[in-house]
Amino acid sequence: MAKLEAKNIVKRFEHNGEMLPTLDGINLSINDGEFVCIVGPSGCGKTTLLNIIAGLTKPDSGQVLLNGRQITTTGPDRTLVFQEGALFPWLKVSDNVEFGLKVAGIPKNERSEISSRYLDMMQLTKFADSYTYQLSTGMKQRVAIARALVMDPEILLMDEPFAALDAQTRDLLLVELQLIWERTKKTILFVTHNIIESSVLGSRVIVLKNRPSKVKKEIIIDHRRPRLAEDESLKKYQQQILAELRTEVQPGGKHTD
Amino acid sequence: MKSNIVTKRIVFYLALILSWQALDFANIWPDQIFPSPLEVAEDLAFGAANGSLFYGIGTSMLRLIIGLTIAIAGGLALGIFMARFSVVNQTIGSLVLGLQSIPSIAWVPIAILWFGLTDAGIIFVTAIGAIFAVTINSYTSVKNIDPTIIAAAQNMGAKGPQLISSVLIPAAFPYMIAGFRQGWAFAWRGLIGAELLFSFLGLGFLLNVGRQLNDVSQVIAIMLVIMGIGMLVDGFVFKKIERKVMSRWGLA
Repeated sequence: MAKLEAKNIVKRFEHNGEMLPTLDGINLSINDGEFVCIVGPSGCGKTTLLNIIAGLTKPDSGQVLLNGRQITTTGPDRTLVFQEGALFPWLKVSDNVEFGLKVAGIPKNERSEISSRYLDMMQLTKFADSYTYQLSTGMKQRVAIARALVMDPEILLMDEPFAALDAQTRDLLLVELQLIWERTKKTILFVTHNIIESSVLGSRVIVLKNRPSKVKKEIIIDHRRPRLAEDESLKKYQQQILAELRTEVQPGGKHTD
Repeated sequence: MKSNIVTKRIVFYLALILSWQALDFANIWPDQIFPSPLEVAEDLAFGAANGSLFYGIGTSMLRLIIGLTIAIAGGLALGIFMARFSVVNQTIGSLVLGLQSIPSIAWVPIAILWFGLTDAGIIFVTAIGAIFAVTINSYTSVKNIDPTIIAAAQNMGAKGPQLISSVLIPAAFPYMIAGFRQGWAFAWRGLIGAELLFSFLGLGFLLNVGRQLNDVSQVIAIMLVIMGIGMLVDGFVFKKIERKVMSRWGLA
């Protein structure tokens, strides 16, 4: 049985008084422990799809199944790492990481034990008492990942978490995320517009068509890990993804992300 | 730089007092109409020595604290409900805007009818004068929270009262302080007005006594006290809290 399934997801948005489909029947099936990347042109509704899977947005039709059961609301079994981190500036790093555990009513000593494990994994231990505004963008995304992982989700959802990072920081996190994935055996669904990111991270890369978007192509990347961004042998996959995407990005096309 | 501003201020106030004294020496108006700064200072010293001044300040501040606490608690709750439930905003929200346009002093007659000439009546006027300003500001502050912050909290399981106390209030807090500050200003005005009209204690009452006794220097002395407290609370209490919260939230 698939860990997560999306069945015929349709979502329309109003545009100049007209309801236009953004997602036009998306079907996905993600297996337990898989690392799947979704790539698509900007504005194709990748983030909307992820929000629907997270339960933060309702689809107009279609359903999302987690372990075969339909999801209706958002919840910590599908934690989402946001593009800008969405950290809580009034809390220390450790309290940010413990937030979901606190909401779940887990006692303090147990919380700090769990959070210190993930702070250590994300190399944040010495920043535990900092406030988030004191951190660099890369550090903030580490906190966001730790905050999502402590909930031990069924599936980790990531919405372009590295889009705002400088190249060196991103390359470092690309490697670290693979190591974390191997260590925790989490199922990860990672959305990006970046071809390199998707080829480095994904065991499978799903390319979306531009609006109204559908699944266009699935590319299996069977390659040893950890992969590096500059890995030459990934080039052929990148060219394959690029070829699929190129036909979707027309000059003068709408970019409404 | 900072000491420079302080020097300018001291010079300004000294000049003001000296011109006042000079006007008094010029004897244009009789003393019952235009007292000298010295007479006002004597009045203040007299009030301070017999304790009536501090008793008046204490009474007013106590009423203010109770009234403002009610206004902040009520305004916060109402504002958050308005921000979270559009039906509340569409209905009660319009009423709040209307009520906000009533000057606090216009609540005095109904306060007397409902509560009589009591402390409860004064506190009612103080609270109602401030509550709608706090409501509107709390509403805007919650509305302006970055939606991904709320989405992240909900995604991690926060909902209902827990979402309000652990996310909405802290996320909006730096902006809410401006509303509390405005609420305080409205409460302070409402309080003195109400005391002037129907109280037996407090600064507004002392102001009224001064008028009844034809004691213009007492009237001015109490006005200066009211101004002084206003400046102190606004400039020290609220500015300090604001600065502290801003830097703690990483906004300064």
